[in-house]
Amino acid sequence: MKRRHIYLIAKKEIAGLSSEKTIVFAILLQVFIAMFSSFLMVGLTAMYDPEAIEGYSTVTYRVGYAGAESPLIDEFGERDDLILYRMDLGAALAALRERMVSAVVYVPQTPPDAEGPITVTLYLIQNDLQSGVVNVKIKEVLQGYEEQLRETRADRLIYSPVELNFPDSGGGESFFEFVYGLLIPLLVFLPAIVSAALIIDLITEEYQRQTLETLLSTPIMFTEVIWGKIAACEVLVPVQAGAWLILLWLNGIPVDNATAILLHVSTSGLVLILLGALVALHYRERTSAQFIFSTALVVALLFVMAVPYNPLNLVVRLAVDSIGPIHWYVLALVAAATALLGWAITHYARRVGEKTP
Amino acid sequence: MSLISSIRTIATWEIKRSMTTMGRGILPIAVGLLLLLVLVTAFAAESGLHLQDGMYRIGVDDPGTASIVASDTRFATYQDDAASLWENRFSYDIVIINGEVYAADTDKGRAALNTLERDYESYVASVAAAEPDLFAAYPLWIDLQYVKSEIDFLATQSGQQVGAPVETRRPPSPSLPVEEVTPPSQGRLTTEEELREHLVEAGDGQPLKRYTSLISGESATDRLLTPSELSLPLPFDTIILVFVFIFPLYFTSQFFMMSVMNERVGRAGEALLSTPLRPVAIVVGKALPYFTIMILIAAAITLLARAPLTILLPLVPVILFFLANALIIGMTSRSFKELSFVSIFFSTVATSYLFFPTVFANTHVISIVSPLTLVVIAIQGDGFTAMEYIYSTALFFATSIILFYLGIANFREEHLFSEIRLISRVVDFISTGISRNHPHFSLFLLAAFMIPFVFMAEMLTLVLFFNIPMPLSLLLLTITAAVIEEFAKSIGLYAIVRDRPGFLTPGNLLVGATVTGLGFLVGEKLLLFATLAQITESIFGSILFLSLQALWMPLLLHIAGVLITGGFLLLGGRRAYAPGIVAAGMVHSLYNLYFIGGMLL
Repeated sequence: MKRRHIYLIAKKEIAGLSSEKTIVFAILLQVFIAMFSSFLMVGLTAMYDPEAIEGYSTVTYRVGYAGAESPLIDEFGERDDLILYRMDLGAALAALRERMVSAVVYVPQTPPDAEGPITVTLYLIQNDLQSGVVNVKIKEVLQGYEEQLRETRADRLIYSPVELNFPDSGGGESFFEFVYGLLIPLLVFLPAIVSAALIIDLITEEYQRQTLETLLSTPIMFTEVIWGKIAACEVLVPVQAGAWLILLWLNGIPVDNATAILLHVSTSGLVLILLGALVALHYRERTSAQFIFSTALVVALLFVMAVPYNPLNLVVRLAVDSIGPIHWYVLALVAAATALLGWAITHYARRVGEKTP
Repeated sequence: MSLISSIRTIATWEIKRSMTTMGRGILPIAVGLLLLLVLVTAFAAESGLHLQDGMYRIGVDDPGTASIVASDTRFATYQDDAASLWENRFSYDIVIINGEVYAADTDKGRAALNTLERDYESYVASVAAAEPDLFAAYPLWIDLQYVKSEIDFLATQSGQQVGAPVETRRPPSPSLPVEEVTPPSQGRLTTEEELREHLVEAGDGQPLKRYTSLISGESATDRLLTPSELSLPLPFDTIILVFVFIFPLYFTSQFFMMSVMNERVGRAGEALLSTPLRPVAIVVGKALPYFTIMILIAAAITLLARAPLTILLPLVPVILFFLANALIIGMTSRSFKELSFVSIFFSTVATSYLFFPTVFANTHVISIVSPLTLVVIAIQGDGFTAMEYIYSTALFFATSIILFYLGIANFREEHLFSEIRLISRVVDFISTGISRNHPHFSLFLLAAFMIPFVFMAEMLTLVLFFNIPMPLSLLLLTITAAVIEEFAKSIGLYAIVRDRPGFLTPGNLLVGATVTGLGFLVGEKLLLFATLAQITESIFGSILFLSLQALWMPLLLHIAGVLITGGFLLLGGRRAYAPGIVAAGMVHSLYNLYFIGGMLL
């Protein structure tokens, strides 16, 4: 194989990509994903920390209270964002239906030190964002009441958990795990997946458009064609991933160990690209190749994620700088697998190339 | 009758052909991969997903404390004596000495602390659940009841805040007659054993359990909850559930896209076009097998999940939309890689449009812009009304029909086999819709037909900007909506100018702008009143669809927008198109901002 031939093919493919503006779509795609991550962020915050959604509201909510007297009234009294009204249950529910109150609480006549539980009924409006916010506010009130009741009944408890004293936290750090534990690995590995899909198109296109014969009539060998295409796809991986890291940094999300991360992404990306090339060489027809490859990709990703110290996890750990030199061993392992795959591709391509006239 | 029989011929031919091209050993490998997927899923469920392993480093001086975080793989735990822990405290995110927690003063340290607090809570809960006297540990249980509001959607419209506090001292008195309500019974709704089991399960955090219970119709409101369990409905339940439905549909539409593309690659379709078959028969015949397969897949999943079959109804427009887009993408892409990128891009955009609103399925009216919300609602057992069905599917039906029409009208040799750029080809497609003899009437129709796409794009921006803090989101919405509208309005004019540069005279521009503005307004009104009344009531909606106020003002605005872009085209040629849109978009935004300013102040 001549390096110059490989270089020529790679250059041709990259020129094709930029002239077709497909790369623009690739970038748009990734920007779009980054954009809706801000959307996911709120969803995830709600999952990690429903209290965070409370911050979206500064309104005072009215709550109807029905049933027996209880210390719960005092708990409500301590909140300045909730106003409690003593009401008849029927009237309170009617008011709730007309949205004159945001929630209704019904407290039964059970004494605080009773044998059984106290079952408070909480009425909320269905299908409503406001209910979510009120829900969170009332939750805090009810937790305070629960605390009181637990103290009243403390002498009936026998186990004592390990006590931990927490410092006063600033709170609201729910984004950290999302950004570093999910968004960053997603963003840096996306170019690898995109490139793997790309190699399939590049190879099958030669077959389906019957342009391969023309290409092979030049002094370039089939293996060189394949490796040229692989090189073109591989180059895009660190470039795009690096661009992401810079963009993240500009957005105030510093990422540690950028070089190591790029090495990991490029190596894993090469594995995916080689797998894609193998599938494409085997099927030579885009529909089948893409179908098999994308199904296999799901299987492979799921498997890899289930293994400790997988490359995605290593990227997370590298990004937050909580890993020792161990990731170099994994990198060496992945690189060895890549070399093996590369050898297999060369061998396979040579055999295919000999058969192709 | 001959149309139907030719559709049938094409459909059978399509099935046969796809079987032979896909034949080459695909099926056994696909089955093998599927089996592998099952195995890997089982393995992943067993071993857990190791994505965030060891994100935080925690140092503890006592094995009892270590056991609190033992099951949380996010913590890499190091045990050491108190003195050396304190000495090396800066190499840890959290240090726990004698029950005192110290966290690093960094984002990471605070995030670790948050995670630790949560772990500690569930640890305390698991200890408490083992208490022999359960009701001393958990004295308070909440019976959560949802009430349907009579004025359901219409009152929550302002998006974030509701109900201006009027009178604060006296309790509000409802205007409707009050019904006598029997207080909820205090007999134990659930036995102690069940509650204990429920606590263990909740502490366990089995994620899959949530989905199975959601599908089997066991609703959370049937059970009693502890106060700490009160929380918003988790968005991810619905997302994952709906993903099961959408993913296979998206996949199948890919085959259709490729089949259309294959007609062009190697010019296989040329023979087909030389037959007396009409393009409509070819397109419909080719699409039919895929449509049928998609419906069957969706029905199979529905039956497997034991969900109500009504969820197929909102899926039909989604399937049509996927197929229509697959047709256009397959017809317009020049190469495989273009096909891949465009289709991935399209599917990401479409998926986010479909999914993100469903995140708010139980919380906000915005969710109704996605038909998948109806699927979620139906699975939850609430059902949806015919009106809601129209609201959420009309845009999908309208855009699919227009796209299919566009595809069929352009399913001709000169358009299928020419190697031109994607964007030029799309413009080509549009300009075939502009009649040479009645260009102004065509512009009018084109503007009206653009409306569903404009609304769809605006809905997408609504979905994207919805949860950015208020003033900013409104500003972004205003600007993007203006640019989208200006782009949509001027595309017809651009297509004409490209084909016939001589067409654009000041007089023709004036007439063209007027008919375009008129067409836009007519389309807007027709669709708006039919479908989007609910969303337009919200503050977000009033920004997107400001034009409802008076008729002459938006008409003037629409005309002015086209005039600006057209003016740029007239003076600067096609190069000036983009600056023209920016200028028109700016004017449009300023108009909108002026009105929002007036509305908010």
